[in-house]
Amino acid sequence: MIVFEDVTKVYDPDVVGLEDFTCHIGKGEFVFLVGPSGSGKSTLIKLVLKELRPDTGRILVAGRNLGTLRNSKVPLLRRNIGCVFQDFKLLPNKTVYDNVAYALEVVGEPRRSIRRKVPEILSLVGLAEKTNSLPHEISGGEQQRVSVARAFVNHPPLLLADEPTGNIDPETAVGIMQLLVRINRTGTTVVIATHDRDMVNRMRRRVLQLEAGRLVRDERRGSYDQVTEEVGDAF
Amino acid sequence: MRFSYFLAEAFGSMRRNWVMAMAAVITVFISTAILGAVLVTRDNLNQGATNLKNRVMIEVFIRDNSSPAQVSALQHKIDVLKSQGQVKGYTYISKEQALAIFRKRFGERIVANLPINPLPASYQIQVQNTDNVDKVAAQFFNDPTVDNDPGTHNGVKYAKETVRKMLGTISLIEKGMWVVTIIFAAAAVLLISTTVRLSIFARRREVEIMRLVGATNWFIRWPFVFEGFITGLFGAILAGVFVWVGNWGIANWIKSTQIDFLSLRVYRLWWQGGTWPLGLLPTLALLGALLGAVGSLVALRRHLKT
Repeated sequence: MIVFEDVTKVYDPDVVGLEDFTCHIGKGEFVFLVGPSGSGKSTLIKLVLKELRPDTGRILVAGRNLGTLRNSKVPLLRRNIGCVFQDFKLLPNKTVYDNVAYALEVVGEPRRSIRRKVPEILSLVGLAEKTNSLPHEISGGEQQRVSVARAFVNHPPLLLADEPTGNIDPETAVGIMQLLVRINRTGTTVVIATHDRDMVNRMRRRVLQLEAGRLVRDERRGSYDQVTEEVGDAF
Repeated sequence: MRFSYFLAEAFGSMRRNWVMAMAAVITVFISTAILGAVLVTRDNLNQGATNLKNRVMIEVFIRDNSSPAQVSALQHKIDVLKSQGQVKGYTYISKEQALAIFRKRFGERIVANLPINPLPASYQIQVQNTDNVDKVAAQFFNDPTVDNDPGTHNGVKYAKETVRKMLGTISLIEKGMWVVTIIFAAAAVLLISTTVRLSIFARRREVEIMRLVGATNWFIRWPFVFEGFITGLFGAILAGVFVWVGNWGIANWIKSTQIDFLSLRVYRLWWQGGTWPLGLLPTLALLGALLGAVGSLVALRRHLKT
């Protein structure tokens, strides 16, 4: 699904985003990106979205080489990638319904199918009651579920989440993670950048650990820290 | 293109950002009103110049003691000039008619005190081509029938200097008006694009999200372009009505005063001609709408680099 080959991205005054980064993420995988702030997690996500361009190296997303992808095709790429962010990125003036519907309007989905799909996905994320609320009228956890709903309403093959639980309390965070797991079960590849140690340790999924832009660990059923990894494997 | 969706988006966003929308409408209103006023003035000056040109006329005064034969000889001379195509037409004004005109213009009281009629009879000659006034007038300089004082040509009057100066002034003012028109048109585009840029800056988050969910650039642009279009249209219609009412008021005022010769035109809102190929209101409205749409596009360019 995602292939990085020797990718290096250096920001302007010598700040390393990613360095010689190589990894393969297969179809249908559920992957955690861990590492301290500034280790390159967000850079990686921005590269996948082609918001940034790498200095060197090659990136393939769903078989498409981003280096040769024309600018006019970038919107098409993004329609196949659902995105969830720490700050939710909802349109503040639009209702929950309209925020989710927006992702479909953009694709040119007929109105009738929008009217069918949006309530469907809202009830999947447990927000059927909040359809007509504005983002500021609902809690952070609920806002994040709206953003997950928006990311998934197109049923994209790939879903990226940048600190999806960063701004919400641990209990609500569990709900969000369960939602992402359910989305993963439908075959969607899910990549989550996170600081949430408990979550990563509990889930035991593939972990990519970054440090100063380098991949320092890639583990099948990993945990947040390297030390607990052996413990994890022993079980 | 999903017209109704983009239109709804545009109206929705104008409702939500109504302060900004108002600012934009007022900007367009002011710029197009000034532009419209300049254009109307230009048009009227043109009209005034044409009027003046049509009025370039030679008055040939006849000596009081001329015999009827001499007068008809003079008239024959004018007829010849007319047959040569130099003179467009002429009228004979007798002493009595001259007095009547004088009385009408300056009032009964002055005339009543005159012991005799001091006004000479005259021919009023309209020349075919304004530029030939001198040549035509010169034909009468040495005519014995003409009431010249010895050694002068003061029996032949034509608006030589005055008209030239006025025409010169008008063409100068007109050139100035062109400059003003261009400056204000440029100012309007800048003001509108700044206003739109501000409103886009206020909504850059919105644009960012649109791009993230995979909106194409045109999908993002259209609502903004519609918004600019509607804003421009609305402001310009207000300006059109404003200019029209102003023109109407001033024209009526001028009609009631001595400077009537300017003959200001009272436009109808749909009046076509001059600088208004589509009529005053439609031209301004279209102009405003275009300004708004183009302003939006210009302002968006920077925000939509992938």
